[in-house]
Amino acid sequence: MKRKVSLLVALMMVAVMVLSAIPALADKTVVTYWSNDRHDEVYLNEMIEKFNAAHDDIEINMVIMTDDFENSILLAIDGGTAPDIIGQSVTLKNMVDYDALVNLTPYIEADEEFQKVTDALNLKFEGLNAIGDAIYWVPSGQRSGVRIEYNKDLLAASGYEGIPASLPEYIEMAKKITEDGKANDPVTYGIGFTSSSPFERQLEMMAQVSGVFYYDYANGKFDFSGYKPFLEAGRELVAVAYPDQQGVDNMRAMFAEGTFALWGNASQEAGVFTNQFPIEKFEWGVSPVPSLDGEIKGALQVNPNKGYLMLNSSKNKDAAWEVIKYFQSEEFLVGYMEGGYDLPITSYIDEKVDKSKMGRMGDFSLLDYESVYPAVPTINLMGDDYRTTLWNAIMGYVDIDAAIEDLNTRYNAAYDDDISLGFIQRLVVEDYDPLHPSAGTVVWQDK
Amino acid sequence: MSTKPYVNPQLAPTTRTPRPADKKMRLKESGGVAAWVMLAPSLIFLAVCSIYPFIWIFRYVLYNYDGIPAHTRFTGMRNITNMFADAKFWSSVGTTFEYALWKLVFIIPLALIMAVLLNQKLRGSSFFRGVFFMPTVISSSISGMIFMFIFATGNGILNGIFQKLGLIAQPIGWLTDTSVVMASVIIMSVWAGFGNYMLYFVTGMTSISEDVYEASRIDGANAVQTFFRVTLPMLAPVLKVVLMLAITGAFKDYEAIMVLTNGGPGTRTNVMFLYIYNLIFGTGSNATRQIGYGALLSLMAAVIVGAVTIVYNIVAKKLDDVV
Repeated sequence: MKRKVSLLVALMMVAVMVLSAIPALADKTVVTYWSNDRHDEVYLNEMIEKFNAAHDDIEINMVIMTDDFENSILLAIDGGTAPDIIGQSVTLKNMVDYDALVNLTPYIEADEEFQKVTDALNLKFEGLNAIGDAIYWVPSGQRSGVRIEYNKDLLAASGYEGIPASLPEYIEMAKKITEDGKANDPVTYGIGFTSSSPFERQLEMMAQVSGVFYYDYANGKFDFSGYKPFLEAGRELVAVAYPDQQGVDNMRAMFAEGTFALWGNASQEAGVFTNQFPIEKFEWGVSPVPSLDGEIKGALQVNPNKGYLMLNSSKNKDAAWEVIKYFQSEEFLVGYMEGGYDLPITSYIDEKVDKSKMGRMGDFSLLDYESVYPAVPTINLMGDDYRTTLWNAIMGYVDIDAAIEDLNTRYNAAYDDDISLGFIQRLVVEDYDPLHPSAGTVVWQDK
Repeated sequence: MSTKPYVNPQLAPTTRTPRPADKKMRLKESGGVAAWVMLAPSLIFLAVCSIYPFIWIFRYVLYNYDGIPAHTRFTGMRNITNMFADAKFWSSVGTTFEYALWKLVFIIPLALIMAVLLNQKLRGSSFFRGVFFMPTVISSSISGMIFMFIFATGNGILNGIFQKLGLIAQPIGWLTDTSVVMASVIIMSVWAGFGNYMLYFVTGMTSISEDVYEASRIDGANAVQTFFRVTLPMLAPVLKVVLMLAITGAFKDYEAIMVLTNGGPGTRTNVMFLYIYNLIFGTGSNATRQIGYGALLSLMAAVIVGAVTIVYNIVAKKLDDVV
């Protein structure tokens, strides 16, 4: 009897707790945020928990979705299940043409604190976060251009101290390390490539700093001709590379295990090699990518990032704006940068951040030749994109000259077609300087 | 002299027009209403999930459509002319035929042999039946991931075993070497699919009467003769169905290939439906979604698979006549 009474009391207490919780949740406006970043999940969860505890009117619900992000969002909009806020990794023009986004300019203009912290009205990049006067997302920070992360022990064993400035020297170094690595147990290699966008992670950026870019801003057309020496260099590198090209995380894990000496990726690796795959077996260094002849002739691309877009389908726009404001508040951003998740993009945040807390992110500080490139128009391309085609040429699946000719033809045909159909305009940058790509005057042409 | 065939007046079809009351009665007697009610959910499901999407794709065959209504433009015959000039698509059709052929060459005999062995009522037959069937219940993407670990060049299980046994000096590029990768894909698909066909064969064999086997034994037939003269002919109807399922299945495979090789290296394992999937969803190496063009290729793929099935049915019918 006594046990029955205790059980009944316990059940009643649970019922009271559940019932008392329901109105509390019901009173809150739930703002759903879809992110496609996994590297900062811990920090975001911690800050969201803090926000939810401090607010009895808004509840943030974060969902991480790393695969097929843009398609999932479009499908969710059609199905009426879209979130209120999404991360910025989408094609802006497509989303705007889909009438999916809220123009944030009026919200920004009405909020001086937000302007002060984010410099939102000045950080407008046409085609990237803004179209005309409409700002759709504001960058919280920026990701550096690609760097070479290297295993100091493997380099030293082959007689190298750092990364050379020119591509031929870099190839020689990779060859030497692979040759020397044959005596190791297990065998070690000079370089490793991932299967996920491998061209972008090293050779494309070496081409950039050598003054080669796939879009000819001065003449308003696509031009892949300059990549030929980099594709030939790529063939030499692949011949001495770790024999598999696996997913990014697999290759990162192998680099962290000391399987190969040279790895290319941007500033996200600071967090990856300290938290996700901490490197404990050897010292690792970070170096700028080499150029074709050792001379810097073009800017290295940096990417403003960690922005938040509000969807038009949101029924809680004001609450969603409150959440965006929180995500881009001084408190949030300083912690984010000090956590080593990103590099500051505004001098305001840069001054507030304690650099000593940034860990290895300091090694990825911006170089004086790093810059944002004007967004290349999105075209309705048929077939493989240029990175896949060029990598196929490196792997020897297609001829190098044929690949370049194919890309020049397909990209320009699609571009001309889209312009003639009125989808887009031709982008020309007058006084274009490859070392300062965003400094020229942007001109939009109808033909 | 022309002869009129005899018709039994009792069995002759009646020419009397049925009265509405009769019709109603017969519908009631035959359970027609109940049958239609019970069929309705399936028919609605079929119409919504299969027939409607199939019709839907016709809408965009002549359009440039990337999923964004503002970008939709009528482009006339351009998709069709592009299709005939699309070397990558026709190469993927060739790859599909190659893949399907090799898969069928291995999967059907293997399933049949295993079914015969497991039908011997030996100790552990049920256990192995379960083991062989197990891969069928694993999702295709998981199969792809499992074989990624097995076939990895540098740290893969298979190369590790071969090297330990001293069978190979250098690791084999199971997924990176264009001359080997098709074999890797076929091994995976045979592993993933043969258990299913094996089960069909086992079920078919259980329906063969024991008397027939007993008679063959009395006649002095050995095991091979029994298989070719008794089991195989008696299994013919099941074999026909299994072959048709295997052919259409092999032509439509793409999920596990997408995970294992994503059509690579280069385009070596880029089968038809993988190419179409990537076009429609703008994934893989495709810069933009090509829903209009992808819809056209889907129809062409359906025509190709349909043509193969028709050819198979004609051949199977001819074989029936011969047998």
